[in-house]
Parts: sequence; C-alpha cells; structure tokens
Amino acid sequence: MTQQVSSSGATSTAPTGAFDPRIVVFACNWCSYAGADTAGVSRIQHQPHFRMIRVMCSGRIQPAFVLRSFEKGADGVLVSGCHFGDCHYIFGNERAVEQFEKTMNVVKLLGIEEGRLRLEWISAAEGGRFAEVINEFTDQVRALGPSPFAVEDAIDEIEVPETGGCMNADKGEGKGEGVGEGEH
Amino acid sequence: MDAGRHPLIEVLTNAEVTGCEGEPGNFTVTVRKNPRYVTEECVACGLCVDHCPQVGGNEFDMGLMARKAIYRPFPQSVPATYVIDSNACLNFTPHLDERQRRRLEKMAKYKRKVDPEYPPNILVCGHCTDACDVDAIDFDQMPEEVEIDVGSILVAVGFQEFDARALGAYGYGRLPNVVTSLELERMLNASGVTGGHVVRPSDLETPKRIVFIQCVGARGEGGRPYCSRFCCMNAVKDSMLIRQHDPVVDDITILYTDLRAFGKGFDDFVTRSKETASAEYVRGRPAKVWHDPADDTLQVFVEDTRGHEQRRIPADLVVLSVAAAPNEGAVKLAEIFDIETDQHGFVARRDPAVSAVETSRDGVFVCGSAVGPQVIPDCVAQASATAARAQLFLTGHRHEDTAEPVEPMDLDGPPRVGVMVCHCGVNIAGVLDVDQLAKDAEQLPGVVVTSTDLFACSSTGQDELMETIKEHKLNRIVVAACTPRTHEPVFRDTLARIGFNPFLLEMVNIRDQCSWVHAGTPEAAQDKARALIRMGVARALHLEQLQEGSAPMTRSALVVGGGIAGIQAATDLAVQGFPVTLVEKSDRLGGRLAEPNLMLLYPNMRPASEVLAEKIERLHKSGARVLLETEVENITGFVGSFEATIKGAVDEVLPVGAVILATGADLHDPGTAFRFDELPNVVTSDQLERGFVTEDDLGFGGDPPKSAAFVLCVGSREPEGFTGCSRYCCPTAIKQALKLNERGIDTTVFYRDIRTISTGAEEMYREARGRGVLFVRVPPGHEPEIVGEKRVEAVRCYDELLDRRLEVPADLVVLSVGMRPRQPETDHFHEMLKASVGLDGFFLERHPELAPVETAVEGVLLAGTVQGPKDIVDSVAQASAAAAKASVFLAHDQVRLDPAVAVVDPEACRGCGDCVDICDFQAPALAETEPGVFTAEINPSLCKGCGTCASWCPSGAIIARHFTDKQVLAQIDAFFDEVRP
Repeated sequence: MTQQVSSSGATSTAPTGAFDPRIVVFACNWCSYAGADTAGVSRIQHQPHFRMIRVMCSGRIQPAFVLRSFEKGADGVLVSGCHFGDCHYIFGNERAVEQFEKTMNVVKLLGIEEGRLRLEWISAAEGGRFAEVINEFTDQVRALGPSPFAVEDAIDEIEVPETGGCMNADKGEGKGEGVGEGEH
Repeated sequence: MDAGRHPLIEVLTNAEVTGCEGEPGNFTVTVRKNPRYVTEECVACGLCVDHCPQVGGNEFDMGLMARKAIYRPFPQSVPATYVIDSNACLNFTPHLDERQRRRLEKMAKYKRKVDPEYPPNILVCGHCTDACDVDAIDFDQMPEEVEIDVGSILVAVGFQEFDARALGAYGYGRLPNVVTSLELERMLNASGVTGGHVVRPSDLETPKRIVFIQCVGARGEGGRPYCSRFCCMNAVKDSMLIRQHDPVVDDITILYTDLRAFGKGFDDFVTRSKETASAEYVRGRPAKVWHDPADDTLQVFVEDTRGHEQRRIPADLVVLSVAAAPNEGAVKLAEIFDIETDQHGFVARRDPAVSAVETSRDGVFVCGSAVGPQVIPDCVAQASATAARAQLFLTGHRHEDTAEPVEPMDLDGPPRVGVMVCHCGVNIAGVLDVDQLAKDAEQLPGVVVTSTDLFACSSTGQDELMETIKEHKLNRIVVAACTPRTHEPVFRDTLARIGFNPFLLEMVNIRDQCSWVHAGTPEAAQDKARALIRMGVARALHLEQLQEGSAPMTRSALVVGGGIAGIQAATDLAVQGFPVTLVEKSDRLGGRLAEPNLMLLYPNMRPASEVLAEKIERLHKSGARVLLETEVENITGFVGSFEATIKGAVDEVLPVGAVILATGADLHDPGTAFRFDELPNVVTSDQLERGFVTEDDLGFGGDPPKSAAFVLCVGSREPEGFTGCSRYCCPTAIKQALKLNERGIDTTVFYRDIRTISTGAEEMYREARGRGVLFVRVPPGHEPEIVGEKRVEAVRCYDELLDRRLEVPADLVVLSVGMRPRQPETDHFHEMLKASVGLDGFFLERHPELAPVETAVEGVLLAGTVQGPKDIVDSVAQASAAAAKASVFLAHDQVRLDPAVAVVDPEACRGCGDCVDICDFQAPALAETEPGVFTAEINPSLCKGCGTCASWCPSGAIIARHFTDKQVLAQIDAFFDEVRP
C-alpha cells in the first residue's frame, strides 16, 4: 500500500512504501470520538491506519483492553478522552489516567516501547487536533517499526526485562509518573 | 424525517392555503391539496421513472439535471411518494396537435382492447400505469379542498433566490459559466448533479480559476437593501469544499464587501480557510463580468479597494452569491392570514425585541427566513421559539400521550446479523467501494445478509431495513454509515417501531471517520472501512437486549437569571401552565436592559424601558414565581428530578424537572488597551449608552464633545483570547453613531468588517453613511492609536481604503466592547450541572444546527448570551426556544431511563466498595445482603453509564451494559483477524 496523503492536511514524513502501523484508538463518546467526527465534518484529512473503538468514557478503558490490543499485534495504542475538567462524567478521565499509568507499567515490563502507548485529551471541538495527534502518533509508531508482538510467534521470544516491577497493578503503585510526557 | 414520522404531525405536501377564518385559538384553515396523480400505495420503487418517456427540468438540481415527468423531488423527500408533473406528462398535453393526440389515443384504445383492465380514462401514454406493480397511478385525482381546525398558525415559507438576471452586467442567464451559489451547491453536493465536483457548464471541464462574487442583489446596488446573512460563510465553505474535491483548481477568489462571519465559531472557520489558503479574499464589488470569446474565459472587472487597484481577474467559472428575496407567495399568504408584511415583502414581526416570532396578529407566528434571511442555527432556534409561543393557543390539547406499545419481536437464538452499508450519496461511495464492503461482510461469522443503500437514513432505506429484518429473521443489525452520535437515535427509533430491541444495533462510522477524512487514500480507507465493519459485526455478536426503564418527572422548571432571556423563558413556560421559578441574583429584573436601561432597541427603536416594562408585565401575568436577590447554591440530580438549593428571598430545596440557564454574559473590560484606564473620555459602548439614558452631555469630565470616534471589535475577533464575533456591537455602534450625529457631533467609526446582520441594521448603516458618519476600514494589526495627554484629542490610524495614515479629531472615543462568558456563574453552573463549555468559554450547545439551545446534559437548556454573544432579538428567540424544549420534558410525568448503565453481578461481587469510592454520581451503594456479607448495588436513575466502575472493579463483578468486556475485546480481536497486507 502506498502512503500518499492528500495535500489538505495529513502530513506524513514517511517515504512511499514505508511500513503502515496498525493502531488501536480508544475514544470516549463525548469528546475524542466527537472530535474525530468534527475532523470529518471539517474534512480535516489524516492518516488512515488506526481503528477507532468507542466507549462512553475514557474511564472505561481498562488495562486489559490495551494489553489485548498489543497481544493481538497492535503496533500502537492511543487512549483518548476529554480534557481535565471537561469530562462528561466529571472525573472519568482522571480515573483513566490512573488506569493508563498501571497499563504503561505493564507494557514496559513486557518490553514494549513506551512510544507505542499514548494518552491524549481531545475535545469535541478539536477536529484539527485530533488529526494532528493521529498523524503525529502514526509517524512515531511507524518510526518504531512493527511491534515485537506483531511478528508471528514473537511472544515466546520476548525478553522480559528484569526490572522487578509489580505486574499486579491493583492500586497503581505510582510507577508511571510522567509517562505521558515521555514519548514526545 | 423526524417530522414525517411523528405521530402528531400530519404533513400535507403539494398543497396550498386558500383561506383562513376564525380567531386565535380557533382558526379554520382551508387547504387545497393539489393532485400528485400517485396514491399513497406508492412504494417508491422507481419503476415508473424508468418507463416514463417524458423529461422535465429538475428544480431541486436547479435545472442542472433532468428528471422524468413522474419523479421524486429529491432522495430524502417526505413523503417518499412519487409525483407526476402535469406540465410535462403526456397525459396532460394540450400542447399536442390534433394528429399527435389522435395517434396516441388510438394506441391507448388498442391497449384497452387487448387488456380490458386497462384504466378507462383518456390515457394517451400510460407507461407509468403499465409499469406500476401496486396500481398507485391515478390520473383521475382532482384538487381537493380540506378544512383544518387549528389553534395557532406558524408561517415558515422561507425565501426564494434573488433573480440574478436582473443584474445584466454579471451575465447570469447569458453566459453559461456564470452560475449562482445554489447551482454550485448542487454541484458540490456529493449526491448532486456532478457528484460533488465542480464543472464549467459550457464544456463540463473542471474550472481552474473560480471567482465568487458576494452580495449579488444584496445590500443595495440594484438589488435588495438588506444583507442576506448566510452568503459569506457559504462562499467560504464552498471554497474549502472545492479544494477538497478538486485539487486541480488553481485559484479561488472571493470578491466581498464585508466578511460577515458573525455566528458562533464562524470566525475560526474563516481563519482556517485563510490559513489553508483555500481562497484569495479581495474586497471589492465587480463592475461587470466579460466573456472573452478568444479563449472562452471570463474576465471579472473589479476595483480592489485595498490600494485602489483596478483588476481584471480571469475566471473559468464565476459564482454569484445571490441574495435571499421574499417568497413570492408570502404576500398572498399574508393577506389570507391577515398579517402584515414589511417593505421588502417579508412577513413583518410586531416587535422582534419583545418576541422574535409574533406577527401582527395573535395566534399567527412566523419563523425562519420568512421574516428575512437567516442562518440555520438562528432559524432552528426561532422555529423552536414559535413552537413555544404557539402552545399558548393549544391549551387542552397538549400532553396527549399517543405512543402505542409495540409488541417486542422474539430475537433470541443464535445471532443472525444483517449488515447494511450506506452510500450516503457519494459521501461514502465517492471514496469507498460500497458494494465490495457489503460483499466482504458476507464472509463474516454470523452474517446472514448484507445490503447497500443510497441513503440508509431515508424513509425508503429505513423501510428496507425493516423488511430485511423480517424477511431474514435477523436479530442483530450492523449499519455502516455515518456517526452513531447523530444517527444512532434515528435507526434505533425505526427498529423500536417494529419491536426490534434497539440495543441490538451497531453503527459503524465509515463516513465521518473514514471517507470524509481519508479521501486522498481511497485504498487505505477501504481497508479501514472493511476492518471497522468486521469489528462492528464482532461486537454485534455479543450485543444484548436491553429494556428501557422510567423514572418520575417533576413537572416544573427553574430559570436561572432574570435578564431578558430569563424573563422570556419563564413567561413562555408559565403561560403553558407549568410551575416555573425564576431566580435572579440582583434586586431587579431586566439584566443588562435595566442597569440602567439601554436607550433604544433596534430595529424598532422603542425605548428599552418600555420593552422591558411590557415583558415584565407579561411575566407577572403568566403566574411564574419570581425570586429576586436569590442565588442557586447547588443543583443535584438529573433530568426529571433536579434539586436546586436556593438561598436569598427564600431558603429552600426546590425540586424541578428541567433547568434553563439564562445567566447572561459579561462585557469585555478593555483594561489598558486604547488607554481606557488612563483617559476619562475613552469610554465603552456601555458607558455611552448609559450617558444617553441619563441625558448626560457626554463630556465625561470635560466639555461636551464636538467629534467622536468608535473603535469596533474591542475584545472580539482577537488572534488570542476570544476569537469570535460579538454580533451586537456593529448595529449598536451605528445606532449610537446616529444618535451622536443627531447632536451635531462629527462621528467616525473604525471598523474591520461592518456586520449589520440583524433586521433593519443594514438600512441603519446606509442611513448613517448618508448622514455623514465616516467609516474607516482598519485591517487587523493596525489598531487605532489614541492621541492626547490628559484627554483624548484625536485618533490616528491607517485607512486601508485610502492606503494612508489618518488623524481624525475626537473628543470622545467609544470602544465597542465584545461579550465574555459571565463569571463566576459559568464556572459555578458548569461544575454543578456538568454542561460542557466551548473553547470560547461560553456554554456549548449540543449541536449548532440540530439542538442550538440544548446542552449535552439532558434537561439543562440555554437561553440568551449564556451560549454566546447575541443581540436582544436573538436572545429572546433563543429563550423561547429553550422554553419549548423544556416543555417537551415537562409534558410527561415520566422520564425515560437509559438501560445502558452498569449492573453488578452479585455472585461475583466481593463487597470491597471500590465502586462506591470512585463513582462521582453516588450510583453504587453497598447493601448487607446477609449478615456480614456486603454486595454493591447500582441505582439506575443515578448511573450515567460511563463504565468507569466496570473497568475499576477488582473482581470483574460490574458489567458496563452495552460496552461489556466481551463486546470491546471482540472488537479488538476482530481488528487483527485480517493479516497485515
């Protein structure tokens, strides 16, 4: 598949024929999913390699969803919700941060690059920002190449780093402070 | 669509009003139903169209496309029934000569001979009758007069296009490549004539250079004196659309007078258009359009007012943004209803500042472009406003519950999935191969049948969906079309009508999030759409039937804010008999009109105090409970059972079913800008207005001024901060300038664009210029400079039109300040009610066109400037609209509860209470089911269905209905079912 993106917005830095990542995007119904719709209504073009999964609130996005995506071969996972203070359910997005940090810990333990998992806040009005985030994240994941899990039988070959982290992320041991910024 | 299927709405198309008798509350209206020659048996199969030999021009496509003599006006028309055009049909052909007629009759006679069943009238053609399988063609139909008894009448006849042929210099009608904006609109419409591509009518080639001419027939100059409001944004939008559809278009030039991007978010849209260089904006009115026969191009002659350069702009296509003219039938209709029209021929309103929708006669209301050109959000708000006002005359007939319960279908058993893929005209099919998507979906597990539809949401599409369900005994539906955020309710509603549980529907968004945003990469878009459908089907297999619950509705409302909007909303609700409490923080009603009164209110120039007194009298008569010096301390609960804690005149907890926010807006404080804080005679428009009311000499600490200057857009249209237009300032400044001019004060107005968009404002602008008020156009980045030591003496500024710096003497500088979200009220109510706030800081409507007064929070409505800057006329209209929407809730004693909420599996629950801790709505609670054994329970009235507790629950005991783990995981797995290409 060739990577040509229309001149009206999608800015891919990748050369023609480069690897097209497979990205799962989890979005909340009220802000980020609506933001993607806004991008549509405004016809703001962006890269097409992601698949959207809609939930009502980013707080619904539990570690299992992200981990299953990687297990199945996702090259990147984007978790998105409303900006702080803008959550339709008041603090659902703040719960999402806690869930995300737990997830990030596990992802790192599994030897998956931090850059493959990202958390973003996109409002219903920010169609342009949605497109930007998608383009940027797609390029970032493309630069990382295929996920180690995306290769057949890769799971047996993965080396789990011996960091001694706690796999049981029951209460989020505060391991993942600042991970949201790490990958920029 | 919604109107067509509503059980309480009867739609009479092809009909006209011929008479009206009676009085408000008891009118008898005579309607003539013109024959359509097709009965309601019609199934809209279209076979007749294939057989019809006669062709007529298609009105809907502006004559750009042909249609048959039997036709459906447009794809989503309601009713879907076809109609025969008697001017084109062979059976109505007085224009045939005797010989032709005899020949055709002979043919018909023969047909009758071989088929005795052949219809007996003088069918000379009858191809459609032959083709029709359901015998829906009836040439014997005659016009039929029906009498309808009604309580009130709403006039919504809209406008018609100004005939651009009247302006011969632009060559419309003479030069084929000069088209109107509506013709262009049909071309750009994905389901239109050219499938969304713009072409030159002369040779059907894509034009390389397109010139838009604005204000054709508007704002004087051989046309209508008023501004048509919608054309500026329309041209900007069209230029962006053309760029997307046809990248080969090199140049788009928009020749404008003032760029009137006055609505919420409009200025941001224009900025984006300028950033993406979708068009070149040239300010100037062209003299003529000239056709160059040498190379068959057009030349537009225009003086670029920036620098006075005479330009000849070559063009392959010229688009005339034509004005809106009154509907021709409006005058006749006005006579029948005995209502007044204005000098232009639009329906006149008694006083728009009192009620935006009242005509000169009680019981007859008007909305939309029947009163003058409007943009869609304003039309919709006004339409709701008429609904509120009209209800006044319907007492006794309201609140009749008509919904008949439908027998639920038996949907148990293994999943049988039907997949419907929508073309959405070419919105989807222009990018994606819809047939291939349907074919691919056939292979998916559980799928029994797939289909495609031109418009799945049209009534035909919906009917097909229902048929397919019955035929194939489906128990899961996947619709691959647009976004569920707008269309899931439509499909759910259709399914509910046949007793199909609406929660067994899954919508796959292949338009908004696929074809629209990946138009440049159709192959990748196809892959994405295929994957999304696969994921949708996988999820559908795990969907469960859910049953809607209900909770009681407290049939009373709370209106917060006693300004003009709050007064209007409270009055409209109270006259309908609903208990209303209006809470006002200060010690008097009237808000901005009363602090102290504004002077005169345009367009009728009635004193504000008089208008306000009239409105307050109406309020008191309405029976609404008014509480002054009272504040809302807290609001808890949800639609139907809000509890408002109010403190002040009374301290109580008020149970209400709906809340209308009408807390208004603040005016921008210029601070140090324009040395406002430093010089006493630099004042805001508000201070000047106050000066007028108190009959001040306007000296502001010095001698009365001999000259004055207005600076517009102070605190509006800023590059940072508030980027929007405050709408009210242009007409207000001109009104004030006229007032100063009357006192013999030389007045200059520094402006960026004059946006006199409200009724009568353009005329006021014209009058001001005629009376010698100077208007100086200032480009952004050249803010006027205030000259003077202790007091302002002059204003120095760059004049874009003269292309040099000017110094204008001014003893008074008036800053026309924009509006700001009112604080702390906005934050306070945002926090309590969770209604979203937009990027501009104002409360965000649920949808600018579909739901301009509703918020995302059910039962919380917006009235007036709390939603964004607007003038009094628009605030009043919006307040009535909010009242109408509130009455929709209050009309029933039950509120429906969404069943897609969280539930606890008591077997799995270990009673840890984590869910109780994290829920912000207090929905879960621990109950002691056995001594010492605790189990969580979730209150469905309080649960909002966010699902956070489900992802949090350490024992996986909470199920987020409709977004269960199984459903989401199935979606994820399905993405990766297909191997990477």
